[in-house]
Amino acid sequence: MYFIANGFIYRKSNSIIHKLDPRVKLLISIQLFTLALLVSNLYNLAIIFIAISIFSLLGKITKRLLRTMIFATGFSALILIINYFAGYSLVYSIQIALRFIAIVCSTSLFFLVTSPDELEYVLRWFRLPRDLVFAFVTSVRFVPVILMDTLQIIDAQKSRGLELEKGNPIIRIKKFIPILVPLIINEVIRSGELAEAMESRGYGISKNPTSLYSLQLIKQDLIVMFITSISFISIIFFGY
Amino acid sequence: MIEFKQVSYNHPGGTNALDNINLKIKKNSITAIVGNNGAGKTTLVKHINGLLKPSEGEVTIENNSTKKSSVAELSRNVGMVFQNANHQLFADTVKNEILFGLKNFGFDQDYIDERYELMTDLFNLRKYEEISPLKLSGGEKKKVCLASVLAWNPEILILDEPTVGQDELQKNILFEFINTLHSNNKTIIIISHDIEFLWRLQPNIITMSDGRIIEINHPEKIFTDKELMNKVGLIPPQIIKIFNGLGIEKDIPINLEDACKRIQGLMEE
Amino acid sequence: MSKEEIIKFNDFSFKYSSSKTNILENINLSIESNEITVLAGPTGCGKSTLLRSIVGLIPNMYDGEYSGEVIVDGIRIKDAEIKEIAERVGFVFQNPENQIFMFSVERDIAFGLENLGIEQEIIKERIKKIMETLNITHLAEKAPHELSDGQKQRTALAGVLAMEPKILILDEPTSLLDPKTASEFMELMNKLCRENGISIIIVEHRLDLVLKYADRLIILSNGKIVSNDKPENVFNYKKLIIPELGIPFSTKIYRELAKAHVEFSKPVTCADDMINEVRKKS
Repeated sequence: MYFIANGFIYRKSNSIIHKLDPRVKLLISIQLFTLALLVSNLYNLAIIFIAISIFSLLGKITKRLLRTMIFATGFSALILIINYFAGYSLVYSIQIALRFIAIVCSTSLFFLVTSPDELEYVLRWFRLPRDLVFAFVTSVRFVPVILMDTLQIIDAQKSRGLELEKGNPIIRIKKFIPILVPLIINEVIRSGELAEAMESRGYGISKNPTSLYSLQLIKQDLIVMFITSISFISIIFFGY
Repeated sequence: MIEFKQVSYNHPGGTNALDNINLKIKKNSITAIVGNNGAGKTTLVKHINGLLKPSEGEVTIENNSTKKSSVAELSRNVGMVFQNANHQLFADTVKNEILFGLKNFGFDQDYIDERYELMTDLFNLRKYEEISPLKLSGGEKKKVCLASVLAWNPEILILDEPTVGQDELQKNILFEFINTLHSNNKTIIIISHDIEFLWRLQPNIITMSDGRIIEINHPEKIFTDKELMNKVGLIPPQIIKIFNGLGIEKDIPINLEDACKRIQGLMEE
Repeated sequence: MSKEEIIKFNDFSFKYSSSKTNILENINLSIESNEITVLAGPTGCGKSTLLRSIVGLIPNMYDGEYSGEVIVDGIRIKDAEIKEIAERVGFVFQNPENQIFMFSVERDIAFGLENLGIEQEIIKERIKKIMETLNITHLAEKAPHELSDGQKQRTALAGVLAMEPKILILDEPTSLLDPKTASEFMELMNKLCRENGISIIIVEHRLDLVLKYADRLIILSNGKIVSNDKPENVFNYKKLIIPELGIPFSTKIYRELAKAHVEFSKPVTCADDMINEVRKKS
């Protein structure tokens, strides 16, 4: 799990790609995603993979994107086999499998270079309701915290002789009760405390809350947007 | 005896949590581990009941390496009570909470009944038997946690910050309790920031910082060492501040009665 | 700085709708500005309820029977708008983890200000100022999970102070910190009170840590105020003290000796006082 998750978790960096406006990053990711869905020949797939490689090299995320690829390759191998045995040609089956990898990579690319913070600004920019955006923010923010809670609970119960690995499937499921109950209770307590802290810091007071930063496109953003969009449109029109 | 032989531990992320720990904890001793948050205290004790296994080196209990045993096997001898009671309480009643460990370890029914009766009497929990542990106050919850671990009568007891959130009366009970266990030949290891409590308890003290052991010594030696105290994020107990302030560095009184006599003596000089 | 009455409880009682009895019973209390007030008492005595009543979480978030009135800086909490309260009182909770919402320190400090609808430029100025005061400028872009416990506590404090409250309320803010970090935190509280004129009310078990700075000590037991005075008066050897209270060791020595007719110039509440008393005599 840890291995796979790493292919989607943002890490701070100062690369050219990281510094782009998050909306531009989203646009690139959507363009790659769309191409991967639409294109049908191996040449175009090759172009997508070259584009993904360029972005990941510029963004210095190649290593972690490779993890995503390995994970996706496992699945795509399955897709390939199923398609092939369903009677499709080998070339077609390979194409379908490669498309799957491209789709996963283009999504992963976005999450690897976009901080949750930037993601929040994008969501706000789309004018989603504030409660919804805030719910998203806190859920991402508390993932590591809840993970720590879970590990501590597991440690506490293992120290009391709980052996999660032993027994038949039904017994094993029952063994999760001593872990789930404290976890739920802890998170209920936590959400109560969060609500108090939000209230005392004036959440929801103003109909028009302001923001520390606002999104602004700068020259680099416009240049990158121009280049990628031109390439995107030309592939769509002339590519296949 | 618990022995750490050149133990190092690296977190899965790669950070070094314990660095070349060499340590012997004698049977039937009281040991306290102190140090700032993140010094590696909890990581260290988790090696004793096998929750963590050393990346390098070896931990042995009575000359048996922890490497070969599971957490469950080790826990029969090593009871560990965690800091946050809410991380362990889950059962529908206090009774079932206490029985949980006993049943996991597969003791026979007679022994389970006997230990359960002993625990409910010892911790004065009879009145809560059929109540959900989650409905109890913070202090009572801690008691249930302690009872649920002591139930299977482990030889070694590890307590992680047992005094946090406890009032004076509850601390007194805990103090008596640790001493009782000690006189019943148990080995007690306690992680704590509560220097006033530790001064009263007078355990062997292990000071840790950045995953290393800095010094092992008796409380007076540790608590009067200003540089060391600063390094491990502690401030000395008030009694030491008073006597040091009066130019006295040695034989500092431990209990209130002695302290009063000495102060009175100094005032009449 | 001149002192004025900044918080007042008049015949205040409160019962949570889930409980059978009053958690606070007929509280009459007046707290002055520019002071550090320490609130202590055994668990379940009503400390948290008292704090919630000052910041308006009671009655806004908790249902129950509310009688009497709480007046904070001239406004009646029961009838006040949340905005009015939030501009006057800041609340720092026990666990800093649960009051940091955003992904970076500076964004989190901005949270309250954004909620109030304050302009971007002013937010930036306030963040800069508060980070300097609390010595956390270097943490601006750090994510919550990259902070130590002490740094988390400072971030939580910064988020509250950025809203420039007159009154700062803290519920056991140091219980998760090691003693040295806790003591540094208390030094900071002292500075905020004496230099920035913020009135501070702090709930704390570890009296040995806080009494040095306290102007007033209030002890609650079973929903009632049992002491409310300067710390040295509360601990006068002639006064009874509830046994649950962990009183500083130097105070224990003083009380024992004073009962045995050893004379002190005043009740002792910290190590330095005791050292002075002994020096005076010998």
